[in-house]
Amino acid sequence: MAPHSPGTDQIDTLLWIGFVAAAIVVVAINLALFYAIRRYRGERGAEPRQISGGRRIQFRVAGVLTVFAAVVFILGIIFTGKAHETPTTGDAGLTAQESAPLEIEATGQQWLWRYTYPNGAFSYYKLVVPVDTAVKLKLVSTDVVHTWNVPDLAGKRDAVPGKTNKVIFRANDEGSFTGDAATLSGQAYASMRTEVEVVSPAEYEEFIETQKTDIEAAQERVVGLIENGEVP
Amino acid sequence: MNESPRPELVVSGFPRKRARWIELATSGDHKDVARILISGALGFLFIAVIEFLLMRLQLAIPENKFLSPVGFNRMLSLYGGTAIFFFALPLAIGLAYYVAPLQVGARGTALPRLGQIGMALWVAGAVVLYAGFMYTPSEAGVNPFAPLTETAFLSNNGVDAWATSVGLATLGFVLISIDLLTTLRNMRTPGMAWRRVPIFAWGATVGSWLMLFVGPVFLAALTMLMIDRNYDGIFFADGSGGAPLLWQHLSWIFFSGAYMLILIFAFGAIAEIVTAFSGKPLFNRSAVMTSLAAIAVIGTLAWMQNMLTAPIGLGWMYFAMLMSLALIIPVGLVVFNLIATLFGGVLRMRAPLLYAVGALSLISIGLAAEIQQSLVAAAWDIKNTTDATAATHFALIGGAVFGGLAALHYWYPKMTGRTMGESLARISFWTMLLGVLVTFVPLALAGYDEGQVIDAYKFFDATGVNAYNLIATIGAFVLAAGIVMSLVNAISSRVNGAEAGHDPWGGDTLEWFTLSPPDPHNFDVLVDVRSERPMRDIREAIAHRTASAELPTRESQPVA
Repeated sequence: MAPHSPGTDQIDTLLWIGFVAAAIVVVAINLALFYAIRRYRGERGAEPRQISGGRRIQFRVAGVLTVFAAVVFILGIIFTGKAHETPTTGDAGLTAQESAPLEIEATGQQWLWRYTYPNGAFSYYKLVVPVDTAVKLKLVSTDVVHTWNVPDLAGKRDAVPGKTNKVIFRANDEGSFTGDAATLSGQAYASMRTEVEVVSPAEYEEFIETQKTDIEAAQERVVGLIENGEVP
Repeated sequence: MNESPRPELVVSGFPRKRARWIELATSGDHKDVARILISGALGFLFIAVIEFLLMRLQLAIPENKFLSPVGFNRMLSLYGGTAIFFFALPLAIGLAYYVAPLQVGARGTALPRLGQIGMALWVAGAVVLYAGFMYTPSEAGVNPFAPLTETAFLSNNGVDAWATSVGLATLGFVLISIDLLTTLRNMRTPGMAWRRVPIFAWGATVGSWLMLFVGPVFLAALTMLMIDRNYDGIFFADGSGGAPLLWQHLSWIFFSGAYMLILIFAFGAIAEIVTAFSGKPLFNRSAVMTSLAAIAVIGTLAWMQNMLTAPIGLGWMYFAMLMSLALIIPVGLVVFNLIATLFGGVLRMRAPLLYAVGALSLISIGLAAEIQQSLVAAAWDIKNTTDATAATHFALIGGAVFGGLAALHYWYPKMTGRTMGESLARISFWTMLLGVLVTFVPLALAGYDEGQVIDAYKFFDATGVNAYNLIATIGAFVLAAGIVMSLVNAISSRVNGAEAGHDPWGGDTLEWFTLSPPDPHNFDVLVDVRSERPMRDIREAIAHRTASAELPTRESQPVA
């Protein structure tokens, strides 16, 4: 993952904290094990001292472990809270969205993502969003559980049928970011990918406008064909 | 017969001896039932390894066409079911069912027919899962999420076969747990107070309680799934009031409990081995006992750690994180005390201790990785990536494969009267350890760095994961070779192993007091237990009696 949004910056930090915590545990336990089997490999017939421990050392160890767990927990809450914060739209972003995030609906279906924009236009596979703008993806599913997952821009979230989930992010840079769906959803699950194209606000406005007129033109053409009796 | 010295007695000899397999299949003896569970579980380990290798072959190179998408999903579903329900759980429960009654000095189990029915149900479950080959295995994955499992999306009977199979197996585990728990509660030999119960038998007690709680939850979920699929139910179907998330809650409660159960059994076995091979008592016994019970409770309460991306409230996610991190305290105490037992000991590095140390090392890597997985925002990135696969496999291969083999090497002499080949055990150990690291470290990196997703039948070129996957596939073959060596060792040692005698390791617990293999009634005399190390007391008493042989025997202290 290469973070390209304020939220993923926080996620990256927390991942690093988690990695350090895990590394401490792994190194401590394995060094102790390694030392024990090197140092205390025994000779035949030797009788070790029969030590069976004491209450005090137990409380000390439990205390150290509790402090460790508490520190990790508190850091977890702090950075999760930061990653969960709704970002604000910046100066380079879509000016109309300064008060509330730009709301786009992402519908998971076997095995495609459909994005519906505020003006009614929609696109499949590719999501176009303006740079430096808070975007709120409303995740819904029409069939089974899908996980929307574009790691460079936001954390993953499940689209569960009958429920609404949301992903809020603000892309810092223009560019194209891809991701794979992350919950087994049937045969073509591995091909259920998506691409987020981050563009300037003007390009975004132009994209949804063109998309809308193209869709309307196509629909009118189909309606025309039906009226002329060329398609049943 | 007519020349019987006492013609008033009807003497027609013993009933004719039946074939060995009929004896075994109809026996209510916990040792026979457990032997079927253990050998069956080891057989399914082999099958699970083959399935894992087939999936790794498909994922060796990008966009491979070795397995079809449906074929891969079926292999995945079979692998998950086999590894959890037909290898890891029955191996743990089977070992406990064999050893724990012996450890507490019981002459049998309290409800032997219940255990026997449980084993039969488990065998039936295995047959149903693999009879699925005749029609269509499930394609819905390891934990098949609703509503993918509804007939609208998977209309063939694969999911029904899966649900029936794991349902039968779970019901079997619950019944065996009831028998084991009743035995451990009521049939302990005089003096065997709870504080003196061997740590593995205590682990079996905790694990059985845990299975009694989470098993029925899963059975309920499976029943609802079957009603949904076959009788137009709506439990997990959205719309009409059903809730797909309900399946996730119920199934994750069970899977979290099963995860903890495997770890608890592994810790119990490791504790026995560590004490026997260091010549020391377990460091801080009471703390270990309390911690094992705490692991069962806290670990199961952390079930929502698996749902951190689902539409549940942030508060629930924090609760899951709190429980996952609270698990650090009891697990840390257990691991600390196990290592502290090694310190200052006189370590005999025989195969059981080698495997036990390897198990501890791998479990530590797996559970440390789970710390990272449990941090809510971090999980939003690494959940459902191959990093999560690697974390779970480190902990469960550590617990079930290394821990299971440690226990097998340790108690094999008790079960068969022979020890497993030491040099093959060593070669197998190092091969497996190398294999695990070469397989799962690259997978962890692929998930952590590049976000490779879980359960996918292919990956794409130019996503930066080609090398990781190729190395992982090579590692899987090394791991498989190591596992096969251990299985070959277990089979060939039945006839070729060195004669072990009744007490080959000098263990502290009562199973070493009886014959190898034990008679059907386990013990000729009931032992009066005076401490938590009864076998050590017996050995000392015998040594004392031999040293003062001139004393009249009637005045000497009774041995037992």
